[in-house]
Amino acid sequence: MNVAPGLAAQLAKFAGALREQGIRVGLGDEIDAATALTLVDLLDRGEVQCGLRIALKVPREAWATFDRLFRVHWSGTAVDDVPVPPRTYPRDQRGAQWRWDGARVRLELPEPERPEGDEPGYSPEAMLRRKPFDQLSASDVAAMERLLVRLALRLAARRSRRLVPTRGRGVVDLRHSFRSALRTEGELFRLARRARALEVPRVVLLYDTSGSMDPYSRFHLAFAFALRRVIRRLEIFAFNTALTRVTRAIAPGKISQSLERLTADVPDWSGGTRIGECLAAFVADWGTIVGRDTTVVIVSDGLDLGDTELLGRAMRALRERARTIVWLNPLMGDPRYEPTQAGMRAALPHVDHFGPAHDLESLERLLRFLD
Amino acid sequence: MNEAIRALQAAMERDGYVAEPAVATAVYLATEMRKPLLVEGEAGVGKTELAKVLARVLRTELIRLQCYEGLDANTALYEWNYQRQLLRLRIAEREPHDPAALEDLIFGREYLLERPLLRAITRRAGPPVLLVDEIDRADDGFEAFLLEVLSDFQVTVPELGTIAATHVPHVVLTSNRTREIGDALRRRCLYLYVEHPSFEKELRILRGKVPGLDERLARSITRFVQALRRRDLRKLPGVAETIDWAQALLRLGQDRLDAEVVGVTLGCLLKDEHDLRQTGNAAVDELVVLASSPG
Repeated sequence: MNVAPGLAAQLAKFAGALREQGIRVGLGDEIDAATALTLVDLLDRGEVQCGLRIALKVPREAWATFDRLFRVHWSGTAVDDVPVPPRTYPRDQRGAQWRWDGARVRLELPEPERPEGDEPGYSPEAMLRRKPFDQLSASDVAAMERLLVRLALRLAARRSRRLVPTRGRGVVDLRHSFRSALRTEGELFRLARRARALEVPRVVLLYDTSGSMDPYSRFHLAFAFALRRVIRRLEIFAFNTALTRVTRAIAPGKISQSLERLTADVPDWSGGTRIGECLAAFVADWGTIVGRDTTVVIVSDGLDLGDTELLGRAMRALRERARTIVWLNPLMGDPRYEPTQAGMRAALPHVDHFGPAHDLESLERLLRFLD
Repeated sequence: MNEAIRALQAAMERDGYVAEPAVATAVYLATEMRKPLLVEGEAGVGKTELAKVLARVLRTELIRLQCYEGLDANTALYEWNYQRQLLRLRIAEREPHDPAALEDLIFGREYLLERPLLRAITRRAGPPVLLVDEIDRADDGFEAFLLEVLSDFQVTVPELGTIAATHVPHVVLTSNRTREIGDALRRRCLYLYVEHPSFEKELRILRGKVPGLDERLARSITRFVQALRRRDLRKLPGVAETIDWAQALLRLGQDRLDAEVVGVTLGCLLKDEHDLRQTGNAAVDELVVLASSPG
């Protein structure tokens, strides 16, 4: 089942071209494709195309690119090189925006304001849930932080459907019962049991700290703190024009202390945003911490000053690695809002859950989605 | 077209599965190259049916492993029949036995409950078709385990030793893409993506599956469903839904589509409350007019 040498060379070149376009084709796939070429009718172009697509395992999203390259490489005429769009990489741009202006930090709270209560069925908590983050008073904040911790606790305690051995209640596990009975000469004294595993989710929080997100900063940070307290495997990044890992800055403890450390660590707080570059940098430098059990939460308004094509590519790369991608957009609290910015449009196809994040109720909805 | 592929396509069609060249090619390559076939596509495009028809064409048994969250290796591979082993031991207490012989007896194949994966590799009468349905529902750990079984086609049972495959089964994996399948598993397979059928294909399926359906009505139904799929819906109706709907209309004695009957039977096609609300009277009227106009 050997494929002709000329054909093999053409296949290798074709596979190279696919890889250049970001379609992941490995050597094993090329070998599969070579075998497939010995099985299909080489005079039937459609069948060759279809066979290669099957053997190279080209996913549905990449079919358009695949078909275009197929026409170029298997047309029977000379093979020309397809122009490849230049790949801009964010690395060289990072650090360029390193400036820090303490006066621009606007994390103080808005003016205190009493909730306009006394309506029937009024409950402070219910009011809090609906109140936009940018309209809260200091006492609201304290109440809210307590609520956030409760939410985060619920997030951390997820039951998997997998059964694991337990000492408490559960279904009887005969296999283990008999195995442990061997110790007592086959006499069964104790029944081993299994119960649903407690799943510890891994969460990566990517948080937009640009100027347009300022009014929401404090509350999303409080959410991050609350998560931090109960989820051990949490990584937090801040981004605006550059990406900064702030996991250490958001240490358990007092918010105000951490806030100082945080503002010192994050360059260009309240500046502009280049989401695409920052996410691409995240994928390049930190991509390996995102696994199949990871939920990536991006909190941003999607108002991007940078390269939206880069954003789309970075989101696709994230999508391939993560279990779930959640995009929280505080602007969605406004009923007139439509995700029309180019940045948001580029990112949306790769997002599993796109929701508002302007009040507590919307964050609760996120937790329901995660459950 | 390769003669063998054409023959396979014809055979599948005889068994009631209308296969495009891409599907027939994929099935042919998978059986010839002895590789598992990973089939992806939206719900209701006939992924599971593909495995069933393959078993019929190859005249072999279909062994199905339905995946779900929390599925573990025991459920997929084997389990000892503990109850039976216990009973056997109780009987043995009354009439003294040679302990070694007794042990051999209760850890023999007779006391082993074969689950789908083990059954698939130990089938004696030729290779079966192993359908691993909705692999995206199982968790990652199970996927890794499956990868191991699919690469070696052998299973180790501590009490029995290693059982190697008598025949390597034809494996079909399906996924609805609720979760991305791991790269390692994807690379191990050949890959087929099934789309919603074209007008011609859907009409042919309908003729095959719903005998006695008026030709003009069949065309209207197909045109209606095809137009419905172009709308912005959460869950697009699959071929199975089209067939259900056609059967419903047949039972109701309809010989043509009208807005009233479509309105009351729309639940056959749309199974999402949001989608039903989206497709109101005006939309139904428009679709009915479109579907009833010939050409």
